[in-house]
Amino acid sequence: MTEPIISARGLTKTFWRRSQRKGMLGAMRGLVDRGGTEVTAVDDVSFDIPAGEIVGYIGPNGAGKSTTIKMLTGILVPSSGEVSVAGHTPWEERRQLAQKIGVVFGQRTQLWWDLPLSESLELLRFMYKVPERRFKHNLAEATDLLDLAPFLETPVRQLSLGQRMRGDLAAALLHEPPILYLDEPTIGLDLVAKTRIREFLAELNRSSGVTILLTTHDLADIERLCKRIVVIDHGRIVHDGELERLKARFSSKRQLTLDFDVVPDLASAVLPTGTALFDQEGPRVRIAFDRHERSAPEVLSLMGRFGTIRDMSIDEPAIEDVIQELYAESARATA
Amino acid sequence: MGNIADIRSDIGIALRIAALRLRGQMQYRSSFLMQIFGNFIVNFAEIIVLWSLFQNFEDLGGWTLEEVIFLHGLSMVMFSLGDTVANGVQTVPELIRDGNFDRTLVRPMSSYIQAMVNEVSLRHFGLLGQGLLLLGIGMATVSTEWTVAKLLYMTVVIVSGLALFAALFTIEAILSFWTVNSIEAVNAFTYGGSDLGQYPLHIFRQGMRFLFLWVIPVGFMTYYPSLYFLDKPDPLGLPAFAPFVAPVAAVIFCFVVGKGWTFAIRHYRSTGS
Repeated sequence: MTEPIISARGLTKTFWRRSQRKGMLGAMRGLVDRGGTEVTAVDDVSFDIPAGEIVGYIGPNGAGKSTTIKMLTGILVPSSGEVSVAGHTPWEERRQLAQKIGVVFGQRTQLWWDLPLSESLELLRFMYKVPERRFKHNLAEATDLLDLAPFLETPVRQLSLGQRMRGDLAAALLHEPPILYLDEPTIGLDLVAKTRIREFLAELNRSSGVTILLTTHDLADIERLCKRIVVIDHGRIVHDGELERLKARFSSKRQLTLDFDVVPDLASAVLPTGTALFDQEGPRVRIAFDRHERSAPEVLSLMGRFGTIRDMSIDEPAIEDVIQELYAESARATA
Repeated sequence: MGNIADIRSDIGIALRIAALRLRGQMQYRSSFLMQIFGNFIVNFAEIIVLWSLFQNFEDLGGWTLEEVIFLHGLSMVMFSLGDTVANGVQTVPELIRDGNFDRTLVRPMSSYIQAMVNEVSLRHFGLLGQGLLLLGIGMATVSTEWTVAKLLYMTVVIVSGLALFAALFTIEAILSFWTVNSIEAVNAFTYGGSDLGQYPLHIFRQGMRFLFLWVIPVGFMTYYPSLYFLDKPDPLGLPAFAPFVAPVAAVIFCFVVGKGWTFAIRHYRSTGS
């Protein structure tokens, strides 16, 4: 196996959450006083990412996703642990590392608000010292793939979110970095824009072998792009492996959707063992059951006693539910 | 920080960024000129204060009106230049609060120089114009002989003062890595330092003199060089080379502040997601 392009060992970040003080005096005291509580945002995280992989890094809000990414990009200095990204320790060799990574933060832009997109890209060319010919070539390619031409001369502040995101992607890739970090790249975009970004990323990975680490709340991003996912919760990794394996682990859970002809009264009813009421909307009832305990026809016939069933369907576990299960499991483990 | 070649290349890029952004502002030329003119007028009040002061007093601690006008001009020129250079640095608290400081750390360029051009504005040129006007009037009316050596040293002093005031604004930026509330306290030293630098230092109390000589060396940028420029004796009794320590004091002060910036970057906490 080749050397991983990104590797983290025992990565930990703790913050002091200071109690807020009011007024000037309080602010001055805040500078010297260490009062407050220590919060561990990232707790002993280790992983390796081989070159050319697309890894989804997911977790609930405040789980430590962004903090991890910020340590891998050199924005934050970890409290302890080691990181190597393309052979550099990020926070000690920012300048060298910057040449090898592209960074897109979905909620923030790398571009200059008051300048047209083309001028922002031109400035980045100087900053990254991209030779003129490479720049022209890369810009032409990005303009083509991301369809930048219609708004290349528009000031960034006037771009729509989707246009800005495309501009940001072009900006992050001008210097041909082998690694691309994406923090919520599709947040706030409409479906068409999301699809376009996903296709672009998949193609980028396939044709140029760019390693991509992305955080997202949109699990469709994951399903479309990532074979491997790393799930973090409360600062700890709770899953690292193939998406399919994760699905298999929780796939014994099934859901049966039943349409009754009249609204059944299930609130006070005792359901058959091995089944549970997932939710109910009028005559539509969803029952969760474990495939190892009950078969679907069995559940169907047992539910028949609550009324006449007009229609039914079985749902495979959706990735959202799998992730929910995983969080619930990790919450039980920490409780 | 980085090596000299990196810094030179960073400054080149910063000038490019500044030029592009200023060109954008020039497109609204009338509002641009109004800003500078407004800034000029607002600061004119100070001259009125000075003038009325001398209506009631013959001199100020042995300094004539012309000499104080010169000191005013010198201080205003350095302050306005330092303020202009550090314009973007003053936006660091905002950058941090909005989470936009992050991007300066993932680019192959000094985060400080990036911050400097985060906002580019020439509005302080109104103050600069006024400072230059006062400096010119002072130089023309004081009874001193202007030698080439004095003019050359004045250039050195102005650059040193510019660096000192820029560094003072940088202290505000450094503190904002931990708290945004204490920044107003530092304003007492930046704006206060500039105001104080406009008057002969020996008229102030011992504590103030100590603070603005040995902690924040404003006195070594304005007052002491002026003793040399205007051929005046030193009532505070420092060694004869005191008028000439301006560049050394500026370098030391900037070095310490630079260390503070590096420390702040290492302890940057970032915000939000």
